[in-house]
Amino acid sequence: MSPSSVATRARSKVRTGDTPEPSRSKAGPARRRRTDGRRWAPLGFLAPFGTLFAVTFVAPICYALYESLYKLHRSGLGLAPPSEVFTGLSNYTDALGDHAFTASIVRVVLIGLVQVPLMLGLALVLALLLDARRTPFKRFFRLGFFLPYAIPGVIGGLMWSFLYQPDVSPIADALGRIGLHVDFTSDGMLPWSVGNMLTWGWTGYNMIVIHSALKAIPGEFTEAAELDGCTGWRLAWHIKIPMVRPALVMTTVFSIIGMAQLYNEPVIMKAVAPNLAGDWTPIMAAQNEVAANNYHAAATRSVILALVIFVLSFGFMRFVNKRGGAQ
Amino acid sequence: MKSRPFRAATLAMALTSLTAFAAACGSDGSAEQASGPVTVEFWGWAPGYEKSVELFNAAHPGIKVTYSKISPGSKGGYTKMLNAVKAGNAPCLGSVGFETLPTFAAAGALQDATEAAAPYAKEYAPWAFAQSGVSGRTFGLPVDIAPMALIYRKDLFTKYGIAAAPRTWDEYAADAAIIHAADPNAYIGYFGNDAYNFAGLAWQAGAKWFGTSGDKWTVNLNDPATKKVTAFWQDLIDRKLVKTVPSFDTALYKGMGEGTILSDVNAVWDTPILADSVKQTSGNWAVAPMPVWDAAAPATGNAGGSPNAVLKGCKHVKEAVEFAHWFGTDQASVSNLIKETGIYPAALSGLENPALHQPDPFYGGQTIFDVFKESAGRVDTGFRWGPVMTKTSGVLGDGLGKAGAGGLGLDAALAETQAQTVAEMKTQGMEIG
Repeated sequence: MSPSSVATRARSKVRTGDTPEPSRSKAGPARRRRTDGRRWAPLGFLAPFGTLFAVTFVAPICYALYESLYKLHRSGLGLAPPSEVFTGLSNYTDALGDHAFTASIVRVVLIGLVQVPLMLGLALVLALLLDARRTPFKRFFRLGFFLPYAIPGVIGGLMWSFLYQPDVSPIADALGRIGLHVDFTSDGMLPWSVGNMLTWGWTGYNMIVIHSALKAIPGEFTEAAELDGCTGWRLAWHIKIPMVRPALVMTTVFSIIGMAQLYNEPVIMKAVAPNLAGDWTPIMAAQNEVAANNYHAAATRSVILALVIFVLSFGFMRFVNKRGGAQ
Repeated sequence: MKSRPFRAATLAMALTSLTAFAAACGSDGSAEQASGPVTVEFWGWAPGYEKSVELFNAAHPGIKVTYSKISPGSKGGYTKMLNAVKAGNAPCLGSVGFETLPTFAAAGALQDATEAAAPYAKEYAPWAFAQSGVSGRTFGLPVDIAPMALIYRKDLFTKYGIAAAPRTWDEYAADAAIIHAADPNAYIGYFGNDAYNFAGLAWQAGAKWFGTSGDKWTVNLNDPATKKVTAFWQDLIDRKLVKTVPSFDTALYKGMGEGTILSDVNAVWDTPILADSVKQTSGNWAVAPMPVWDAAAPATGNAGGSPNAVLKGCKHVKEAVEFAHWFGTDQASVSNLIKETGIYPAALSGLENPALHQPDPFYGGQTIFDVFKESAGRVDTGFRWGPVMTKTSGVLGDGLGKAGAGGLGLDAALAETQAQTVAEMKTQGMEIG
């Protein structure tokens, strides 16, 4: 029984009572108890979430913060168990002084600057095409574009790494026949190759999100615009795109977060591109420290990465909100 | 409107961390020991270990070994062991590679077993026993070793006019030039990115990457012996006389199957992998001794192998060591390990095991273990591993890959490995002399 139905029945009882005096004295404490129950009920419903949130989200973050302020101290060869010593921000100066780590952050930001707009632009165009009235085979295209997202990222990564591997790549082979010698695993090509894997995997997903937003636009808007002679790309530009702005903002924020957490694709690529460094992305760098049994350094790198994600995604939100307010 | 993406983002993140949490909780604690015989808990992952444990338990009523199969060391097994030591519920024994044992030692995760192990020292290859400890202290007993040799396409060597496999590295370089001149698509071998294979090459040349002097570690990843090796391979890479491909990659086996990559300098455990990867060339391969630097004083290298190490907190060190010794030396156990696990025994008696005297049809009916036995006897005894090998091998592997791709010199790669190894040791609070 939901708390509101209890309350309604209590109220109706009071209302139907012929003799208010005794009824009030009886109902008084009962009502108070029910009101108390009503006040606590939402907390009860929130408890499962709150517990999980605290255990799986707040606690790990606090623990990472705590770990990042300590270092291991050993004596001599370290054959005796090491001790943990508070060292303040010294782990942070170490991490920021590690040029491979800072380079990995700059790398994912640069890849993101190119890949995210390209992918979302493509997703938006595809979504608009799907939304246009005269597009044939809509269901087929919608499923086709979405399919890469349904393939597990690791499988997609393996597939692409075979397509990139210089000695077995059919793409490189075909390009070689027309005189273009491309090595998708060379240092210069790696960011583009990984960016392509991401675009392939995620465009369909973003397209579906934007397409759903397009479908939610009330018919009167587009109809009115069309009556005024606004059709085709002009309709898309002036009516549809402004209406799906929230969806675009959301997909961008997701993409920024996803980009900063880049891991699967480069790790799989590494099998065919040995020149791809083991700390190519910030998460790979943090993971390396875990493997090296240096949890303090790993925690520090994770905290820095979380801060970078926070700044980038909130920075983007503030930026678009300001622009939105000016309109 | 503006809060919606964030709620979704928070939910997504919460779900992600929830999955991670569930995964972390999937591992269970240690089994409780019963009264009666002494219980020794043992963690490993190689196939066939279980069978040897059963054999031991059947023959030793006073000691009961309980074996748990965990993930392979580099795939999370080592992390699990280190965490168990930290939590105080580690097993008595763990399978720990030679290269990783000093890392465990420097993390304070190993229990001193010097006294219990000392009587058995003479029964193992001397370097293998030495690498089962650090700075004169012993922490376990070896199970297997991995001497290196030259695995080559005998038919194609003959086709290109090379009658005998190269005995020295000078001959190897000369043959490399002959083969590549005869067929521009063919290479004598390849330069891969496997850090431990390269370590084997440096080991052979007499490198002393790590050591201890008193209470401090010494680190010399770019010592003169290593420089000799880097100069040799840099020259072959620059003259394009060796193919540069990732180790154990599809491209490597494609080349070996097609006959464009003619040989591999690798450890004994690579022989079945190769046989499996290029089945179509069965019968055309042979194994020759690893090319040496000095034919008058031939030394070889090793790439792999592992002891069973006693982990911190073990209450029955003596029994654990007794089991470890039996595991690696008993004829029934070693025969099982050779057959099921595919090990090459570290025990001197194990080298005589009849299972190692079978001719192999993939290698043209050659008794290949004879070559490895000779190699095992010539492994340089002075090489030691360092205390942050995950980091060292990671940076070295990256450097080798970059050097193969032409982006970085091998010398620079080793210098970078040296610098990053020292830096990592310092952040972990170790003293370097």
